Amino acid sequence: MTFTPLEAARLLDTCAAGVVLIGVLIAETRSMGRAIWLVAAQAVLLSAAVVGVGIATGSAHLVLGGLLTLVSRGIAVPLILGRILRASPVRVERNPYLGPRVSLIVAIAIVFAAALAVDSATLGGSFDGSINAPRALPASVAEVLTGLLIAMTRRKGLSIVIGLLVFENGLALTAFSLTYGMPFVVELGATFDLLLVVVAVAVYARRMLTVFGTLSTDQLRNLRG
Amino acid sequence: MNDLVIAILVLAPTVGGLAAWRMHGRAVELVAYAALYITGATGLGMALAALQTGRVTAFGGIVSIDALGAYLLALTVLVAAMALAASPRYIRHELATNALRPHVEGRYYALFLWFVATLIVVPLVDNLGLLWVAIEATTIVSALLVGINRSPEAIEAAWKYLILGTIGVGFALLATLLAYASSVRVLGESSDALNWTRLISIAPQLNPNLLRLSFVFALAGYGTKIGLAPFHTWLPDAHSQAPSPISALLSGVSLIAAFYALVRFHLVTAAGLGSGFSSTLLVAFGLLSIAVALPFLIRQEDIKRLLAYSSVEHMGVLALGLGFGGPLALLGVIAHIGFHAFTKATLFISAGELVQQYGSRRLSAIRGTLTAAPVAGGALGSGIVLIGGLPPSGIFVTEFAIIVGGVTRGYGLAAALAALLLALCFVAMAVHGSRIVWGHSGPVQAQGFDRGMAVRLALPLLAVAVLGLWTPGPLATALESIRAVLAVPGV
Repeated sequence: MTFTPLEAARLLDTCAAGVVLIGVLIAETRSMGRAIWLVAAQAVLLSAAVVGVGIATGSAHLVLGGLLTLVSRGIAVPLILGRILRASPVRVERNPYLGPRVSLIVAIAIVFAAALAVDSATLGGSFDGSINAPRALPASVAEVLTGLLIAMTRRKGLSIVIGLLVFENGLALTAFSLTYGMPFVVELGATFDLLLVVVAVAVYARRMLTVFGTLSTDQLRNLRG
Repeated sequence: MNDLVIAILVLAPTVGGLAAWRMHGRAVELVAYAALYITGATGLGMALAALQTGRVTAFGGIVSIDALGAYLLALTVLVAAMALAASPRYIRHELATNALRPHVEGRYYALFLWFVATLIVVPLVDNLGLLWVAIEATTIVSALLVGINRSPEAIEAAWKYLILGTIGVGFALLATLLAYASSVRVLGESSDALNWTRLISIAPQLNPNLLRLSFVFALAGYGTKIGLAPFHTWLPDAHSQAPSPISALLSGVSLIAAFYALVRFHLVTAAGLGSGFSSTLLVAFGLLSIAVALPFLIRQEDIKRLLAYSSVEHMGVLALGLGFGGPLALLGVIAHIGFHAFTKATLFISAGELVQQYGSRRLSAIRGTLTAAPVAGGALGSGIVLIGGLPPSGIFVTEFAIIVGGVTRGYGLAAALAALLLALCFVAMAVHGSRIVWGHSGPVQAQGFDRGMAVRLALPLLAVAVLGLWTPGPLATALESIRAVLAVPGV
């Protein structure tokens, strides 16, 4: 299978747009189960873009990195989150600090603001051997901000973690649209860390369920001053 | 040869941790001691070699230890040894009072060793990306330690630490990406494009906009892990809820590991843009951190939170000194790192002992330690005097050097403000300290005199007091070579 660089650039832009669109949907949804599926779908798109560009540029390390993304972010992380969700008595974000409609509007505003404000020519610009995909960088910035929005406006521990993962997907997209990712050994380490974070989250989610009987962070308000 | 030594250095605590996981009692303590002994000996040997030869490299340049890295490496293994030596007594008491469940003992030592392993990787790697990976790993492993006793407060502290730490370090990843993006444009996609040594040599050619943005994200990201205000909110929770030997490691080393990363970003930024941009930001956030810590020191009711806010204050001092720059302030910063690490680690260990003996963490309950708990109480009292910076404490000398250094570099106003804030912080700490030592004590769970503990607590404090007055020749040479790493070219 061969790809021309132009096709690869189009693939990257399309996938980036898809990732952002899904991010907006995650900001809107209150069902944590659906949010986990959507985060997994983001990872699949992300890895498709990386593998596509890897094939177009003939770079084995990109193809490998894309597959790594698929296995870790697309499969392992959602499986662990799904386990936490099944143990939790409440599976919807009932009472977030920001309701679904407002979240949706803010998320869309973030996307437009990022599209207007982030100019990949001044920040990234192209360099030798790069593929010109002008929409990927603003999309990644929007994605990072959407993740922060979700993490800051939810009450349930699991929803906050989903926000964190959207943020992380945004970072991965930033890395990819700026420089086609980091050196492979760094990617490997970062993936390992991501899996560790999710395991640690699972450990504490279980303890929260045992000690408080809920994943709601409303219980976490004893430490002050 | 170097490859082998470095491999032993990192693998000893990693493998030791695997072995410790399911063990308990005397056996797990011995495994932990053995693992840390191996790491400590190889680590100190490596650090000495790096200080003498200027740089040790291994694994084809992935590992590169300069004088600054050697310093952090030596500090890490020494403070880890202090914390490990205090662990058996602390953990046995927690097990005896059912604060910890029996099967957790092995996990404590396993996580302890893995925490040390991740901390050790930080000064070894030359690559800013791998540096990020190591620091993120320290957060995750230590978050598992913070909540090990499963009290609601500990779970809350660990959760906040995990989430805020991960988001914070996420920004540091963004900083790393921007640095990479700027260097790839000069070097192409070569594998050393993120190597610190390489970046600093090509810094003037890097895109200034990317560099500026990169430093801002590094300051917010690593600043979160350092505990610089306003990113410090997780710190008092995590450092106060962690088991006390872990608090010692968190305050003494883990904050400094993140500071080390910020130093690297500052040096690249300053080499590319001139020192003005990053220095001004460091001075501002340093002052803010000291100012934010002050009211919490005054009104504090929890002994371990008091020490944690003191760490926020001292991280502010370090940022301030790094921002001032110049030979005097930088020398102050380097020595301050060590003095703070040893004093604060001792303070947390003795505070942990007092909390166990009094059965309370409230400052209003822990009174009259001079008669009730002379060893831990004496260590806490003298530690507070030393950390507050009363002469002859080494911390007095380093804070003095930083402030005078600031004045000579034209930061007169900031230096004066810092001097005032530090004096107030000292008064706040001293008032708490005198009540702890002299006040009337309530009921105390009497514990026998432990000569080993007395020596372990006295030794680091004595060192901080003596080194404030007198610096042996070899140490002065070492400090000078570390300072040379911190010097911004052209300043």
